[in-house]
Amino acid sequence: VPFPPSSGIPGTQILVICGPDQNGSIGLVCARHLRMFEYEPTIYHPKRSSHSLHQDFTVQCEKMDIPFLSYLPTEVQLINDAYNLVIDAMLGPEADCANIKEPYSGILVTLKQIKIPIASVDVPSGWDVEERSQDGINPEVLISLTAPKKCATSFTGKHFLAGRFLPYDIQKKYELNLPDFPGTDCLIEL
Amino acid sequence: MDKMNHSSAEAEAETIEPLRYLSKGEAAAIETELLRDYRFGQQQLIEIWGQACALAITKAYPLGSLTKKQPTVLVICGPDQNGSIGLVCARHLRMFEYEPTIYHPKRSSHSLHQDFTVQCEKMDIPFLSYLPTEVQLINDAYNLVIDAMLGPEADCANIKEPYSGILVTLKQIKIPIASVDVPSGWDVEERSQDGINPEVLISLTAPKKCATSFTGKHFLAGRFLPYDIQKKYELNLPDFPGTDCLIEL
Repeated sequence: VPFPPSSGIPGTQILVICGPDQNGSIGLVCARHLRMFEYEPTIYHPKRSSHSLHQDFTVQCEKMDIPFLSYLPTEVQLINDAYNLVIDAMLGPEADCANIKEPYSGILVTLKQIKIPIASVDVPSGWDVEERSQDGINPEVLISLTAPKKCATSFTGKHFLAGRFLPYDIQKKYELNLPDFPGTDCLIEL
Repeated sequence: MDKMNHSSAEAEAETIEPLRYLSKGEAAAIETELLRDYRFGQQQLIEIWGQACALAITKAYPLGSLTKKQPTVLVICGPDQNGSIGLVCARHLRMFEYEPTIYHPKRSSHSLHQDFTVQCEKMDIPFLSYLPTEVQLINDAYNLVIDAMLGPEADCANIKEPYSGILVTLKQIKIPIASVDVPSGWDVEERSQDGINPEVLISLTAPKKCATSFTGKHFLAGRFLPYDIQKKYELNLPDFPGTDCLIEL
């Protein structure tokens, strides 16, 4: 978790925007764990996959009393005022960035205007997996999962590699050359 | 709504309710609710528990504290959920650069259990084909034994082979035993007179009644239990430090 609770003030409000596929599911799980860490996540999850696993993750969040927004304000000042940061868990590496449909295209427009930081899960939504988009969102933090993607070479913010489970054989096969994680941490800042 | 986890700065000002030790029925009921009502997946829970167990082992037995030349750990896995948790624990210990070896005599045909087994095999974790009855061999080869044989659902009055034999061996070894959730062979609700004597107990989610008479190092592992369940069963879980998923009780 890159943002610790500010000065022990209970309840740091975080907006977690979840897409319809795996990246969104990861966002849901992230939100749930943030709740266990005493943050106050709010989820915006406009299009819910019918995939049963995705639905399970949604129920887990609902049962943790995590609020789900029914719409995202287009008035960016409302977002700036209500939340300390936005977690972008909309589109993952499998998404077709040339063909972003509503509501995500609209959400991305909003995200380009907000003043609070954005932390993106795996790839910044809207970026091509292999190269940074010229007019894409500009997250402050990128949390690469398993291994970073090509587009992250041009990422200039705070970059974490998260997830420490990858079998050594796969690491070798793809010549990932992952760094050593400190102690028993499952993440490392790159 | 009242948060269950109060900040430790306010702890002195409030009455701290005692931590709840679960009966066999309560432990089963909580798990059923998690799966049925909260829609947690079994694979998901086992992964959470197994990872938390591995972290508890690294706290109780840090790499630098192990006395043998290699950081070897023997993980004895039963056929059911406790065994699956042991498999996941072994895999995470491997990621933490321990050298686990698994003894897994009876493999469940349950596909989830098999998946966990494959995950370990593909991490090059060796699987023993038999457990030496010569305890000195075990004492010499491993720094500790992780007991992941029988969980709270097991019928301790009716322990079949090979586990009854393994428990006989475990009572004779000199190296420490760390048990997952309940010491295998103990009744969930009270300590067995002649049961194994683990040095470490890693309770999952909430401790069981038999742990009240446990005198070794006791960890509570797994930080995912929804606040509503904590309230409903009056678990009074302690505050986990920082973002840790375990706490020493």
